[in-house]
Amino acid sequence: MSPPAADSIIESVAELVAHALELEYASQAHYEQLADSMAVHHNPEVASLFQRLAALSGEHAAEVAARAADMTLPRIPPWAFKWECPDAPEGADCLDPDVSYRMTTAEAVAVALHNERRGRAYYLHVAASATDAEARTLAAAMATEEAEHVALLEAMLVETGAPQPAEPEDLDPPHMPA
Amino acid sequence: MTAAHGRSTEQLKASIPSLRAKDYKSDVKPVWCPGCGHFGVLAALTKTLAYLELPPEQVAVVSGIGCSSRLPAYLAVHGFHGVHGRALPLATGLKAARPELTVIAAGGDGDGFSIGGNHFLHACRRNQDLTYIVMDNEVYGMTKGQASPTTQPDWCRSKLTPHGTGMRRFQPAAIALAAGASFIARGFAGDPNGLTRLLAAAIEHPGFAFVQVLSPCRTFRPEQQEWKQLVHACELGPAHDAARAAELIQRDDGLGLGLLFEQKIPVYAAGVAADAADTLTAAERLAAIEAEHCR
Amino acid sequence: MSGSPMSGTPRSGAPTSGTRPDPGDSPPLTVAVTGAGGSGAVTAGLILLEAVAAAGLFGLLRRSAGPQIRGGESAALLRFGPAPVHCAGDRCDLLAALDWANHERFAEEIPLDADSLVLTDPAAGTPPAVVAAGDAALREIGFADSARERAGGRPNMVAVGAAGALAGLPLDALLDGAARTLAGKGEAVVAAARACIRAGFDLADPAERLRKPASAPAEIPQRWHINGNEAAGLGALRAGVRFVAAYPITPASEMLEWLAPRLERLGGTLLQAEDELASVNMIIGSAFGGVPALTATSGPGLSLMLEGIGLAVASETPIVVVDVMRGGPSTGIPTKSEQSDLNAALYGLHGDAPHLVLAALDIGDCAHTVAWATRLAWQLQTAAIVLSDQSLGQSRMVGEPAPVAEEPLAALQHPTAAGDAPFRRYAVTADGISPMSVPGEPGLAYTADGLEHDPTGAPSSRAADHADQLDKRRHKLLAHDYGPHWAEITEPADPDAVALTLLTFGACRGAVLEAAARLRAGGHAVRTVALRLLAPLRRRALMHALGDTRVLVVEQSHGAQLFHYLHAEQALPAHARSLARAGPLPLRPGEIVDAAAALIDAHRGGP
Repeated sequence: MSPPAADSIIESVAELVAHALELEYASQAHYEQLADSMAVHHNPEVASLFQRLAALSGEHAAEVAARAADMTLPRIPPWAFKWECPDAPEGADCLDPDVSYRMTTAEAVAVALHNERRGRAYYLHVAASATDAEARTLAAAMATEEAEHVALLEAMLVETGAPQPAEPEDLDPPHMPA
Repeated sequence: MTAAHGRSTEQLKASIPSLRAKDYKSDVKPVWCPGCGHFGVLAALTKTLAYLELPPEQVAVVSGIGCSSRLPAYLAVHGFHGVHGRALPLATGLKAARPELTVIAAGGDGDGFSIGGNHFLHACRRNQDLTYIVMDNEVYGMTKGQASPTTQPDWCRSKLTPHGTGMRRFQPAAIALAAGASFIARGFAGDPNGLTRLLAAAIEHPGFAFVQVLSPCRTFRPEQQEWKQLVHACELGPAHDAARAAELIQRDDGLGLGLLFEQKIPVYAAGVAADAADTLTAAERLAAIEAEHCR
Repeated sequence: MSGSPMSGTPRSGAPTSGTRPDPGDSPPLTVAVTGAGGSGAVTAGLILLEAVAAAGLFGLLRRSAGPQIRGGESAALLRFGPAPVHCAGDRCDLLAALDWANHERFAEEIPLDADSLVLTDPAAGTPPAVVAAGDAALREIGFADSARERAGGRPNMVAVGAAGALAGLPLDALLDGAARTLAGKGEAVVAAARACIRAGFDLADPAERLRKPASAPAEIPQRWHINGNEAAGLGALRAGVRFVAAYPITPASEMLEWLAPRLERLGGTLLQAEDELASVNMIIGSAFGGVPALTATSGPGLSLMLEGIGLAVASETPIVVVDVMRGGPSTGIPTKSEQSDLNAALYGLHGDAPHLVLAALDIGDCAHTVAWATRLAWQLQTAAIVLSDQSLGQSRMVGEPAPVAEEPLAALQHPTAAGDAPFRRYAVTADGISPMSVPGEPGLAYTADGLEHDPTGAPSSRAADHADQLDKRRHKLLAHDYGPHWAEITEPADPDAVALTLLTFGACRGAVLEAAARLRAGGHAVRTVALRLLAPLRRRALMHALGDTRVLVVEQSHGAQLFHYLHAEQALPAHARSLARAGPLPLRPGEIVDAAAALIDAHRGGP
């Protein structure tokens, strides 16, 4: 496993921006991967939902990148980011048991909501713990933006209704004994 | 870790990284089942290549056949999706011909340990400067769920072996060590960041670097979702003594993650560079060879 | 290519009993030296071959050995004359037996008759029944006794002197041959050998000479001293091959051993693989990297490589596989020649996998054919299988050098610039040849694939993609202009009078040419066609070459594989006949003359 992030304290704006950039890129990549995967598995509705979320993360990433344009960011190895989870908070949690090729839009929204809440929680953590005041302020602003995403998804969840249980069985299962 | 730690956060300052993980991804959409561990390996590998700042055109990823062997097509580097079990020979030939390239072989446990088992042994012995990533899910996925060399002997969910294989499991790390591999690591697809650390070290290791990646099969081995809870750290530490590594590997339950063994030994270089003092042109050298047979 | 048709009178069928041939005759002479392991029979053969060269003659040295690694019996079979020699003769003129250990094993390979002379050393036992009861004249010469009289003397060197004298080789040439062959063993060894050769030369009865003593010409044109395995390796180097991966196998190993140090000198690499599955995939890896690559093997290895060769075809990766054929099936007869891998080379790949199959026509031609195959493989982005065989690979000749072909290795077809769209590595083009990049080129990455794919290389099981790629891979081979090298054709003095065409491939071309020369000398207008390019078959050109003549298809296999292949391709007239015989004995000109004469007689008066 990754070495436990014993030192999870952000110490500068540049360090926070580097983390934010990684978080948003990972988020975008994660949603794109899910969108592709759903497209390949003939689940177009969920694919387009993830595509929209990917675009949203892309916009966020662009905003962070713009903010970083005149900064010198520390170059952090992928394994040395100060996350408290195995990957970036909105990154590819590839073993998520809720991800399935037959997932419904509601389930997809639930997965996304989990991600965005994790993202928000991360920024809140930085806003509370960073040693640099400016970094704390910036993290709080980012947490607010993430909260907007969370609110958006929560609204979508209401729209799509409560998560529906998936169809009970795959009518064309792979070659497997019962 | 040694090699990858050579690049510390302080040393490498830049503004926005010029190469990002996405620059190593192709437009081809993976056929893997949503939730497949291989997505984690793909993500980790692209992040690692970006971190190492390897230009995509200087990287080649070659594979055999199986779900995981689809990897090269999903990358924007040079790729070769060969025949079943022969990823390592393809990689060996490419690296021997083009030593300046970063050559990575990838595949699954069936491809690498069963049909390609002989190549695995000899690639470990040869210690050519290659990285070999085996995405081990203890099952043949592409052929729909048969037992592989790393499957438990009593796993009887395959119609092909309804009573289980009855065969002891192939021990990739122990066998690699016995065969002379100079770098042996075990990662987990559900720990992409930890995996990047191992992959970066493997790619930077001068010699044959074997990385076994526990990569759960969502469809045929759903019970592997438990790996998330069962994996644990398993590092040899700085000594890198083969006897201690053997003991560590033998004692471990196969779910221990980390760098299990690393040794700096001479890297295989087939042939010897031409004598620098020899100023003959290629044509003159060939003419000299022709002349050996002329009288 | 080398090899004007042999001239001279046919020996087969000529009245010979009781009379010695006129020593002034110029047909090639066959001299065999046999002995138990360590007796130096092979060294004696090598010295005699060098002497042949020093005398300005042409020669072919075949070797026959038992399966023992050390101490086995062996035979050196030298045939030489004033014109290039490309096959075994019908008979043996002179046998120098250092001893008679296991001679039965060679008896069939050394046909003795009433004109043959056998030198036997009384100290080494009595000749076996098969020799003693035959018609050959026996002469006792004390090789061992004579050697014992000289410090460091060896019986085989005495035999070289005696056999050389009887074969009409000049003493100076024999001494020169010993000096060259034994140069690495030190002056004392050379001096002792030369003393023994002089002694042996003097022991031979001048009245028994089979040829008048030749004198070395003042100036000898440049000649090649080479075996087929070395020539094949040289052809590979000429064509730019710089990576070889291979697994040792008889009778191909010498090619690899020859290549290993020489590739290094050229900045290339030879890698000993763990098996043939590895070696073929390793060369695919190298070629994918843009470095021309080759492997060499024999039948069992070829079988293991077939899947890899199919991958090269599907992924359009140029590779060259040299198959030095031996007796099959299975482990078969590893040390003896046969042409029975033709079917495997033509048909062994699963799926519809058009590829190149070529065959070297003689030892020197191994260089030309391997070089040509390499160029074709790169021009056409496919796999080329080059068939050689044990009789070419392990036989050493003194002969005409194979010329260096003019064409340089085709340059890769690079797209001019990287576009935004994915690189279309497998684009359908007019000539079927797609642009090909190699790693290191920005913007031109693709994934080569053995899965059927679309023009970008992405896997596809769509009918249209499969049809496009199958058509493309076939079309590029069929549309290519192969020029005149597809076959070697020889004509009689009056080409319009041809009644019979002898059609063959590979190493059998030597015996066919000699048979044709004899038939022509006997008044028969015979054409020969020796196929160098077997697949894709130049069917129209072949049918044009055959015209409306009778056809005898000559090959060394039990199953008449070439004959059946050509029939399946509808390239033969219905009245074509087959002369197909398995190894291990070489196909001899006399057999071909007999079969051809019978065919001509049976159809006298027109086809």
